[in-house]
Amino acid sequence: MVEASSVEIRKVNKYYGQFHALKDIDLTIPPGKVTCLIGPSGSGKSSLLRCINFLEEYDSGEVLIDGQLIGYETPGGRRMAPRRLRQMRSTIGMVFQQFNLWPHMTAQENVAEGLIRVRGMRKPQAMERAAEALTRVGLADRMGNHPSRLSGGQQQRVAIARAVAMDPRLMLFDEPTSALDPELVGEVLNVMKALAAGGMTMVVVTHEMGFAAHVADQVAFLEAGELVGVDVPSRILREPEDPRIQSFLRTYRERNVI
Amino acid sequence: MDLSIFTEYGPRLLAGFRLTIICWLLGTVFGAALGLLIAVAQRYGGRSVRWALQTYIELIRGTPFLVQLFLLYYGGPMIGLRLDPLPAGLLGLTIYGSPYFAEIFRSAFRAVPPGLIEAGRAIGMTELAIVRRILLPVGLVSALPALINFSIILTKETVILSIITVPEIMYQTQYMATMTFTFLEGYFTLALFFWAFVEVISRLGRRLERRITRHLIERT
Repeated sequence: MVEASSVEIRKVNKYYGQFHALKDIDLTIPPGKVTCLIGPSGSGKSSLLRCINFLEEYDSGEVLIDGQLIGYETPGGRRMAPRRLRQMRSTIGMVFQQFNLWPHMTAQENVAEGLIRVRGMRKPQAMERAAEALTRVGLADRMGNHPSRLSGGQQQRVAIARAVAMDPRLMLFDEPTSALDPELVGEVLNVMKALAAGGMTMVVVTHEMGFAAHVADQVAFLEAGELVGVDVPSRILREPEDPRIQSFLRTYRERNVI
Repeated sequence: MDLSIFTEYGPRLLAGFRLTIICWLLGTVFGAALGLLIAVAQRYGGRSVRWALQTYIELIRGTPFLVQLFLLYYGGPMIGLRLDPLPAGLLGLTIYGSPYFAEIFRSAFRAVPPGLIEAGRAIGMTELAIVRRILLPVGLVSALPALINFSIILTKETVILSIITVPEIMYQTQYMATMTFTFLEGYFTLALFFWAFVEVISRLGRRLERRITRHLIERT
């Protein structure tokens, strides 16, 4: 495995028009660790995640990947050259809530596409590499299927393989299990756990408190665009001091009682 | 009814049919290509590019094809643009069709889920690769019914080229009809030809549609 990246988020602010979506966020994401971002919907956790690969532009502050600023030439300066942005993004894998597989390509072609277009690999090698990546997520027998012929869980595993095949040093997950039927959540979480065990830096926006509790090295709680607290899961999920976190977890538990 | 005229004028009519099909095919291909360029430029261009193209679309859509053709063929020479009937006709068809094609592509691009584009960006693909490998193939699928529909409309617009003496089927039929007073036989044959022509296109279109949407149908 390639070395894992660290991410440093400093005083990041983000506005949608008048709406202040991210307020002075400071967060350190250590290399090789799993950081979960939790909080109510609309709290800004997805926006923050998307600032890390600059799919979302932040308006002030800095996002540093291994010490390198992403998106801008200098803090608050000009936009970075597209070429350099692409190069940085190619080392950051991203997995989306809606999978976002390309519907006109087979599973294998979906995984090979980035290797061919971005890494400049020849098609046969890329297809071979794609096959390996799909085998690792347990889809060796589904490689020739188009996304429409795969279950949600299988589609999300293809999406993970697509990101992992690029040898990223950092993986971003944007609510990867929220669009899945409950019985399919486990297979995706297992793949993510295996990645985490392999020493990948992971940032995961999730509503899966079980995953956060058992896999995360640190959990960050956001509410209304503010970073309310960051801590190891055992503290922040079991004995949170902030009343906002307490009330969030109370609602979560009430909803999940059978 | 006098069918003996068809032995005498048959070759002319056949040549006319052929030219009509060629004009339609080239007009559709060039018009769609120009429309596609416009739609892509509108998506990626700056404000002034978008404004200029929108104005072009409004102008062409807002004027009759015959007027555009007269401007090009009779007005053109006054600004040094001297074209033979056929090239003028093909250029006219291309220009006439382009804004409609552009609008079809524009709305098809808008129907492509933004997440598919984001997935390309997140992996580090260039915008050009995203257009070629994601936006176009996915957009074309949803554009296909509208593309076929407009290309059917274009089949019937080709008859207007007869007015600037392009010897397509309308021109040839008119010629035969005035020479032999066979208005009923002539125009009836012409109507039959167009009906059959459109039928063939729409059948081919449906087959193409089934073919390329095969993978997109959810298994239930």
